[in-house]
Formats: sequence, structure tokens, C-alpha cells
Amino acid sequence: MKIFMLGWEFPPFFAGGVGVVCYQLSKYLSKRGIEVNFVMPSGPKEAESDFVNLIIANNLVSDKNIHIKKIDSLLMPYITSEGYLNLLKNKLMFKDFGSTGEIYGENLFAEIERFKEKLLIIGKNMEFDVIHAHDWVTFPAAVALKEATGKPLIVHIHITEFDKTGGVHADPGVYRIEKTGMDKADVIIAISNFIKNRLTDKYYVDPAKIKVIHNAAEIPEKDYKTSHKINENDKVVLFVGRITLQKGPDYFVEAAKKIVEKEPNVKFVMTGSGDMFPQIINKVAELGLTNKFIFPGFLNREQVFRLYSMADVFIMPSVSEPFGLVPLEAMASKTPAIISKQSGVSEIVGHVIKVDFWDVNDIAAKTLAILKYQTLNNELKKHGSMEVKMLNWDIPAQKCIELYNQLVYH
Amino acid sequence: MVSVCFYFQVHQPNRLREYSIFDIGNNSDYFDEKKNEEIMKKVAGKCYLPTNNLMLSLIEKYKGKFRINYSISGTAIEQFEKYAPEVLESFKKLNKTGCVEFLNETYHHSLAFIYSKEEFRKQVKMHRKKIKELFGQEPDVFRNTELILNNELAREAEKMGFRSILGEGADHILKGRSPNFVYKPKTSQKIKLLLKNYKLSDDIAFRFSNKGWKEYPLTAEKYAQWISSINGNGNVVNLFMDYETFGEHQWEDTGIFKFMRKLPEEILKHPDNEFVNISEIIKKYEPVGELDIHSFVSWADIERDLSAWMGNKLQESSLNELYRIEKYIKATKDKKLIEEWRKMTTSDHFYYMCTKWFNDGDVHKYFNPYDSPYNGFITFTNILNDMVLRIKEIIPEIKNQDNEKNMLNINDNPSEKLKNIEI
Repeated sequence: MKIFMLGWEFPPFFAGGVGVVCYQLSKYLSKRGIEVNFVMPSGPKEAESDFVNLIIANNLVSDKNIHIKKIDSLLMPYITSEGYLNLLKNKLMFKDFGSTGEIYGENLFAEIERFKEKLLIIGKNMEFDVIHAHDWVTFPAAVALKEATGKPLIVHIHITEFDKTGGVHADPGVYRIEKTGMDKADVIIAISNFIKNRLTDKYYVDPAKIKVIHNAAEIPEKDYKTSHKINENDKVVLFVGRITLQKGPDYFVEAAKKIVEKEPNVKFVMTGSGDMFPQIINKVAELGLTNKFIFPGFLNREQVFRLYSMADVFIMPSVSEPFGLVPLEAMASKTPAIISKQSGVSEIVGHVIKVDFWDVNDIAAKTLAILKYQTLNNELKKHGSMEVKMLNWDIPAQKCIELYNQLVYH
Repeated sequence: MVSVCFYFQVHQPNRLREYSIFDIGNNSDYFDEKKNEEIMKKVAGKCYLPTNNLMLSLIEKYKGKFRINYSISGTAIEQFEKYAPEVLESFKKLNKTGCVEFLNETYHHSLAFIYSKEEFRKQVKMHRKKIKELFGQEPDVFRNTELILNNELAREAEKMGFRSILGEGADHILKGRSPNFVYKPKTSQKIKLLLKNYKLSDDIAFRFSNKGWKEYPLTAEKYAQWISSINGNGNVVNLFMDYETFGEHQWEDTGIFKFMRKLPEEILKHPDNEFVNISEIIKKYEPVGELDIHSFVSWADIERDLSAWMGNKLQESSLNELYRIEKYIKATKDKKLIEEWRKMTTSDHFYYMCTKWFNDGDVHKYFNPYDSPYNGFITFTNILNDMVLRIKEIIPEIKNQDNEKNMLNINDNPSEKLKNIEI
């Protein structure tokens, strides 16, 4: 079985969240004997990988050979490169931003179109059984390749345009590309039921065409145990993530208010930054919680893991979370987690406390229960960390292989 | 001769409402009466009323040849009284036929035997009294919650005057012997032990509608043949199951009622088969051997042990804390508080905290009002904390605990004054 996989990034080159998924999935597919040709638009000349045939479109086919069709003018007015840079910034969690312009070019849509043309040239000279494309930026290329070769197409949806805007509206240009990809695909993989519901509600996709394959997580086992405490008597309640509408930081602050009314010896730590940061600082001050809150800013991974092991409770009050990896990191670090029911990750873990993000009373009550009842705390730690260990990437890889077989042999 | 012994368990717990940590000390309204009423009415309509009618018509039709046995928990009886009195009336009507025997259990369907012998005896007496009031029967037969049993419990039941006790016919206690005989538990004098034939019981209770089962669809003819084939190598077939099997676990459209309507006729076709009340078994059969039930056995899950209620730390610590405050609860002499505490002893509350999700988990999930065992634990523990505040209000001299090893802030050692209070 040979897979032609399309992505926009692949670690260690431009490793965003989706890049990590592509990396892990390909690795486990190849372990099970699937040949993966991974194509992405750009990357360093010497790019290679142990387990996939990594193809950098720009390195193989120069721009000179490409005649870009005139881009549909309807797409243009809604897109600013600045908007996309912000978006990409959010997606590319671990990387330094210096090179973004280089990867994505002046205009994202032009780049998407250019990738499509190059891909057709590459794809026509290759043998493969299934096209597997990750997220909307690769869809036009994938659809063109399907039409040129007649091979079955799987589109893999990690996030939709609606999720980036808190579920309210979508950029029409992006929506059209997403929708065309979904319509032309033979099968759609959604990374959660949360995403599946988006696809049926907002993109009118036939649910029978969607297969939910949850992401897994491989969290490096390192002992970040620290004896460090903020101070002797204070418990620590932690928020990790961007301080943006999507992550529900305001609900965290409102819950904090209710928690300290019952249990004053608690410190709340909020990492990260984001466009709601000033608003959150104001709210904390308004509620008289300034001396209860710590904002350490942007932290590297090791620092975040140290924080997990210092924390007594981790809370993810996300308003909308297609998957949500952070609670798994907290659980792996033996920190009891309270997570929003409005998240994909809540579909695959049981040893956490699940809440509605807007129910700040419940968030506060459950936090207090974890702080107060040692047995509860211990059980969540013990079973939570064990549960995360079982979330192996081999499981989604096997489900993909089943799909490939169905598409090719039936 | 094969004596077919049907025993149906009728039980409903008092479900707790979502009682948050912010409720502690602010209100003592623990039970979700709306949900209890809703479930009781639903199950009455789907199961209790139609099944009672069916049983009544079968008893009338076979003029004394169809006989059955029930155990109805006190918590279920109270909910019948409150929300579905017509169900209780139909049980009374069944009782009048003389073909129905009622068993004795702990009033609150509790695990009290394991934690407090005194509370256990009290709940058995309460239940006995209730059954006598309602049906005029004074049971000779004891069945403990979820068929939990060991040697010591059998001996205790014997001391309390029971002549027979029920248990699960688990392989590890039978060790190759057949469940279709009467036994005597080791260390008891003469109490007769009846063991559930789990294969034949579960064929009805669990597998009846399972299309993947090789015997599907199960017909009354086929089942009666299995029963008849015991002739010559057994005396009794103990078919023990939840009464809710009929219409609730197995919905009407599975054909469960039609099966049951036909079954007596098919079983009675064989001249050596009969249906019996348990007291008839006591008269008729002597133990064929002694069984050593060293550790507890129950009818739950594949393990058939206590792990469904006591298998994890959440369950263990809730049970320990619940019974740790028993002496104080009783010392308050506050009838309402004592009764509410007793309602907390119902085994279901601990079953909801079970984390064995992946095999038996499906069954646990189906019966669980909480979306997670952790929420079950939190609600339960919050309520115990409120009870501790109520105790301290009535008996202010009770001390806080010395350290924070327990979840409830109450000292283990009653003061001198309290020691003299009869509890």
C-alpha cells in the first residue's frame, strides 16, 4: 500500500500541531508496512526522514515551470497576509517565526495554487494507491491530483475555519476550499466527534462519509518533579494555553473568584499570551485577585512541564477545542485535570473531571473537591497518567490502514 | 424431580442530586426526588405493572403449580408508596394467591454486613417488619445485597433464625460441583444454601436479546428442554435475576414477555418438573455437601466478588467514611438524619463510583446517573461533609479530627460523654 500524503509541515521542519500529527501518523503507518510519500510545499534542501519519503515540492519543481492560473478574484479581498500570519502564529506552537514569510510566500492563496501545479507534476510521475491530505491548505492540490489520477482521496480535518473564530463565522474563501475538499473526498477523517459535528452542521457533509479517528499523544516520560513551591501553604491551579477567546481564560478567572471565597490559600497560574491578555489582567484586578494570580508569560516546553508537576489542579475551560493536547500533558505529569466537555479530547479520556466551560460554579466546586479530597486527587493522578500512556499512535494508524484497505480493495 | 425456583430481585436506590461543595452547610436536601419519581414511574410502566400482571395471570392459570419468590428492597417499597402505589397493590394481590414467597434482605440494600454488624442486623429487622406489615409473611429465607455471601454471613443469618440463604453459584466456590443441589455453608449448623444457576439465569437476564449469542433466539421450548435435562443430576434450578429484566433490561419488543408467558406451560409438560417457593425446598431437600465460602462472593460482573462496590480507592474511602460516622449519626438521635444516612448506605452509590469500565463497564454505565465515577464520589462525599456539620450542630462537644488523614473533619474517638450514649 502506497500513500501519497499531503501536508504543509513536517517536524523538524515547521512543526505545528498538525505537523506533529502527520509525523506520528506516518511513523506508525510505516511501522505497519505502509509506504508513505509525504509532500509539502517547502523545506530545506537536505530535508529527509527515516520513515517517509519526504518530498519538498519547491526543491523538485521550480517556480519557473509553473504557470499560476489567475486566482479567483472573489478569494482575494477577504484575505490579508497579516491575518494569516497571526493564524499561523497560533498554529505553529513551538517554532520561531523568522522563517514564516519564507514558507508561505506573499500570499497564501497564490502559494496554495502554486503547490497544486507542482504537485500535479510530481504526482503524475509517482505510483500510489490513496491520496491523504491534511487540512484545507492542501485540498486544492489533493483534489486536482485525484481528478488527474482517479485515485481515492481522504481529507483529514484537524480544525475548521469556524473553530478559529470561536464557531461564529468563517472566511468565505477558506470555507469554499474546505467545502470543495470535503465534497470531492471519498472519505473524510475527523479528529473528534466535535469536528464531525462541525462538518455536518456547518459544511452539510453526509455523516456517513465521515470517519472519526482521534489523535493519540506520546508524551515523553521525563520526571520533572520539582520540590519548588510558590509558597508553603498555597495550592496551585493552572491554566496553559493561549489567552484567547477560544481557550476560555475568562471562565478560569471567574472560577478563581469562587474558589478563593472558600479556599483563600490558592495561587492561579496562567501561562501564555494572546489577544485577551489585557482584558484578563483587568478582570483579575477588578475581582481583587491580583495577589492570587501569576502570569509567567510564554514558557518553553520544559518549563511548562515543571509547572504541571507543581500544580494541584489543571483546568482547560476551552469554549471550542477540536482536540486539545494540553490536558493529556497535565495527566501524564500526574496532575488532576478538569476539562471542558466542548473538546475533542474529552471524547477519549475518562479519568478527568468534565465540565461545561460556562459553568464557573461547577468548575470552582470541582476544583475545590480535588483540593479537599485527597483520595479523589490521588485516583485522578494515578488513573489519569495510566490512561494517557495507553493513547498510542498505533491505534489511529491502524484505523487509517483499515480505511485505505476499504478504499482500495472494495 | 427438578424444582424450578424463580427468585426476582426488586430494587430502586434513592438517587442523589448534584450536591456541590457550595451546598455543604447551606442546605441538606440530598435526594433527587424528581429523578427518582421519573425513573420509578417509567420502570413501573415498563416492568413492574405488566410483569406483575403476567405473573398473576400465570399463577391463576396454573392453579398453584406456578410459584415464584421475590425480594423487594425497603428503598424500592418506599418509592412505590410515594410514586407508584398501584405497584404495591399488585404485589399484595400476588401475595394473596399463596403462590408467592417474600424474602428478607437489608432494608436499604446495603453493604452493612461488611462494615457494621450492628447496622446490618438493624436493617434486616427493619425489612422484616416492613414485609410483615405489607404481606403478613415472616421470611425464613435471607438474601444479602447483590447476593454477597461468605461463611460468616451464613452463620450470622443462621443465628438470626433464617433457615435458608441464597448465593451465587460461582465456579470457584462450587469447584466442579453442580449448583442444582442444596448445600450447607462451612461453619454453619444447618442453614440451607441455594446457589444461583448462573448459566440458565443469565441466559434470560443478559443473553435473551443478544443476537450474537449462538442460542438466539431463545424459545420457551428450548429453555424448558435445558431445564428438563437436569432431571437425574440435580434437584433444584435456581433462577435468580433482577425483576427489571422484564421490560426494562430486556425491552418488551425483545419478546421477553411472550417467552415468560409460554415458559410455565413448556416446563410443566415434563411430569417431573415443578415450580417451588423456597420454603418448600427447605422442607424437601437436605444438603448434599458442605461448601467453603471463605471470601465474599456476589452475583456481579465477571469477577463475582466485591470489586464492583469496593474495587477502588474512591469506593473504599467513601464506605470507610460513611461507617466511621455511624456512631455519631446514631448518637444524634435525629430520626431524619439517621434515615438519610441509611439511604446513603445503599450499594448503588458505590457501584456508580466503579472504574472497571472496559468489560463490565457497559452495564455500569447503563445504570449510572453520573457521567463519571468521580462525580459520583464528589457528590457522595460532599453530602457526608454536610452530615458531619449536622452532627456537630446537635452534639457540639464532638471534636475535629487531629490530622487531615480522613475526608471528614470528625474525630474517631467519641468523647467520654458520648461513649455512654446508647447507639
